[in-house]
Amino acid sequence: MKHKPKVNEVNEFLEIASDFEDPLELLRESLSNSYDAQASMVDISIRTQPNGSDIVIDDDGEGMDHDDLESFFDLGNSNKTDSIGYKGHGTKIFYKSDEIVVNTTKNGKTLNAKMERPWEKLNNRELPEYEVTEDQGASSRSGTLIKIRGFKSGQGFDPGSLTYPKIHNYLKWKTIAGSTAHFFNDEFQEMEINVTLDDDIDDSRDSLTTTNKFEFPDEQLTPGDGQFPAERMCKRYGPDEIILEHENGTSKVQIVGMAAGKKARNELPTFGRHSTQFGVWLAKDHIKVERLNEAISHDNEFIHFLFVANCQDIELSANREKIRNKSSSVYQALEEELSHHLSKVTHDPWFEGYLDARRQGEIARKASSELDKIEDRLGKVRSEDLTEPNNRAEILFRLQQSGTDQHGYSVTIEDYQPADEVTAIVDRNGNLEAAAVQDSLYAHFYDEAPLEPIDVLICWEWGDKDQLREIQRKGYLGADVQFDFDNNRLRYENGVGETGECDVIIVSEQVSQPQTTEDESTVSPATD
Amino acid sequence: MSLRTKLTQATEFTVDETTGDARAGILTVNGNTMETPNIFPVINFYGGGRSESVFGGSTHRTVKELINSAERVDNVDCSEFFRGAMMSVGSLTDYGIGRDLLDVYLAEPIKERPEFRGFDGMIFADSGGYKNLKKGGLDGSDFELDLNQRQVFEMQKKLGGEILVNLDLPIVPEDSFEERIEKARKTAQNAIEFIRLSESYPAARFLTVHGYNYSMIDTFFDELQDVFGNMNIPSFFDGIALGSLVPKKDNKETLINAVQGCRKVMSERGLGSMPLHVLGISRASIPLLATVGADTFDSSSYIQAAINGKYYHSILKTEAVDDVDFSHCDCPVCSSAELRSRMRGNAEYRKDKMGPVAVHNQYVQMKELRRIRRHIRKEGKEGLIEYLENTLGRDDSTRKYAHRVVNESLGGYF
Repeated sequence: MKHKPKVNEVNEFLEIASDFEDPLELLRESLSNSYDAQASMVDISIRTQPNGSDIVIDDDGEGMDHDDLESFFDLGNSNKTDSIGYKGHGTKIFYKSDEIVVNTTKNGKTLNAKMERPWEKLNNRELPEYEVTEDQGASSRSGTLIKIRGFKSGQGFDPGSLTYPKIHNYLKWKTIAGSTAHFFNDEFQEMEINVTLDDDIDDSRDSLTTTNKFEFPDEQLTPGDGQFPAERMCKRYGPDEIILEHENGTSKVQIVGMAAGKKARNELPTFGRHSTQFGVWLAKDHIKVERLNEAISHDNEFIHFLFVANCQDIELSANREKIRNKSSSVYQALEEELSHHLSKVTHDPWFEGYLDARRQGEIARKASSELDKIEDRLGKVRSEDLTEPNNRAEILFRLQQSGTDQHGYSVTIEDYQPADEVTAIVDRNGNLEAAAVQDSLYAHFYDEAPLEPIDVLICWEWGDKDQLREIQRKGYLGADVQFDFDNNRLRYENGVGETGECDVIIVSEQVSQPQTTEDESTVSPATD
Repeated sequence: MSLRTKLTQATEFTVDETTGDARAGILTVNGNTMETPNIFPVINFYGGGRSESVFGGSTHRTVKELINSAERVDNVDCSEFFRGAMMSVGSLTDYGIGRDLLDVYLAEPIKERPEFRGFDGMIFADSGGYKNLKKGGLDGSDFELDLNQRQVFEMQKKLGGEILVNLDLPIVPEDSFEERIEKARKTAQNAIEFIRLSESYPAARFLTVHGYNYSMIDTFFDELQDVFGNMNIPSFFDGIALGSLVPKKDNKETLINAVQGCRKVMSERGLGSMPLHVLGISRASIPLLATVGADTFDSSSYIQAAINGKYYHSILKTEAVDDVDFSHCDCPVCSSAELRSRMRGNAEYRKDKMGPVAVHNQYVQMKELRRIRRHIRKEGKEGLIEYLENTLGRDDSTRKYAHRVVNESLGGYF
């Protein structure tokens, strides 16, 4: 005996409707339906209500008859064959609402359909029903008006969450409004799209009007002036139609795109980070689905590109968010072809010139920043406003500039090893001496640095003299130490009880004091 | 300086078609002609053996037998794939021969020996500069020879070389600027002596230059010219041989830079009509470098690949010879049941298995060069672009280089 597998209809409806996570997907499905109905105009309005959103979609397409309405409400029973919504899944997003009302006129006959509490019923494991009535009078205007009441948009259509720029971006990146078909098809059917948000959602403008054409920014092939010479550069590539050969036959891929700087990219209705919007998009029905940024070699950031590769032989998941035949030969051929195509683009001399212009801008900005710093430093040098050194090398440089220390010795730096405890070898009046260099004398003790190998301690300043006195009072690592602040010396006891001494040079005092030297000839010439 | 200019009757190079920077021409030396771009496969005519073993050389020996259509190789005739051959002075002692055998090898020109009766190609006699750099001269079993220009030329002449290069001092990537200058100047001094020595020898004389990019090669030429004084290069030399690229053979970016740079320097110095030979580079680099203007190549990779058990399906694709289905190839080697059997391993010696593979590999290179020449000779750039697109452009490892040369030498895609 043969058995037929059973389908739980309610669960299927619930599952498909639930797969649509982003409430904006309702716009995508509505626009696709209007486009399939050959509408030249579609108006969408969204109003937020306490129990969800009220959405109205009104188009002037060819309308629906009884069969079409069945397909509209049925699951997987589309009348369409070569159009976007052939699976009969898309309109099921409307079920996430309190009421669906459809008024549609086809060939003069007007039908009204109504479905009440679809989402509540589905969640109660009940299949919602719809009622169809027919208007008696003939209408001369065809088209469809759909009213969705209480659409469960979560917080997606709340004020602050939904804005005109966000919708515009969604339309161009995720719906038929961003179609690139017009680059390829002479019989392209243009559709005007108006979206109106309730003032409670976004009152920054009255409405958004666009078409179902994705338009790239105007080309600018040469660098501009200013700090960012490449930011408005833009070059368009294609449209190109390529036939892919693969194990299962041939497929057509239609590629069009651009490479552009940030300013040119921002002429598109971008929203948020460019890294989520730019790159290489795979599309079906000329609606972008997923990106394949690996098609651009790793050394060229995908962010500079926006390419759309449309192929009707890729297969999509029920909610159109993913490509599901990635292991197929057609997808592999598509990957290969796109890598090949994009390699040509990234090796286009124009693109290399664009990258050069970016680098030149970067270098010019660095140079400009350095010039500002130089001005600042020159000002300080001219005003003799000596700021605190930033590192040990600067301390030594200042000492070298001074030419003498507080002991009256001429000083030249002979060797510098910044990582060593003995940071420098200095020549003091002809004697080579091991020197430790510190921001302050206190820092030397704070760091618990050794004293024994050192002949001279070169410090920018003393540091906190009270802290030094505390060290003197308590001892340094269990041994005596004495600071002679007047004569710039310190005496200490080493680990075996022997006494050592070393000179201390406080460079800040030296460079701010008139120089005293035993031999004037060793002093660096004073600036005048 | 009083030097006789070149023997103009010996050599002629005519470019009869160009596509972008690529050019197709005819190189004639002593009445022998060769279509360019083309390759001189490296053959060790002398490989440690004596007359009865076609002077030996293991796999090289089998290659020579296939050129001779010898009975040992089922009388298969592959001489047509060897319209030219590269023989380096430096390889004479590769097999650890004694002095007496060296004298035997140098006793008669290659093409006058009955042992090489099947070979009638053009002999490019390399100076062995690269070997000299690595080993400091020729190192036999009972002798050592410090190579100098006079000795090198004498050996090139005794081998019957028809294209000769001066003894050069190749550069290495680690060389400093000053070291490269010194090498250029020593190369120039050798080149002057080479001109003097070869003034009555009827051969094409190629001047060696070295560098990895335009500036290095330009400097090299500057130094040569400085040593040459008022000696005009085209009056004394028939071609330019660009060397030192073997250590960079896997860096196609550098290879393209070097050949592009060399052609530009040559053009700026009025040497644009001279042939440019690229020493030691072959396989997948050939289409790229021919596209940017190289005319001839040489390489032993066809034989090295065979020795490593690799059978060429194309200049890009190899397969382990043990796995190959030979029925897809119509070359004389793969068409012979006996040689197919040997390539499958039914051979007494390894050379008898690998020799046919080497010659097949050379056939693949020659076939590819024919295609390249045909595309250069076609009207318009589309043929060559399409060829590059469908070969190197379809391989991940070479794609970007194919796109680069199309963009830079063939007018680009967009």
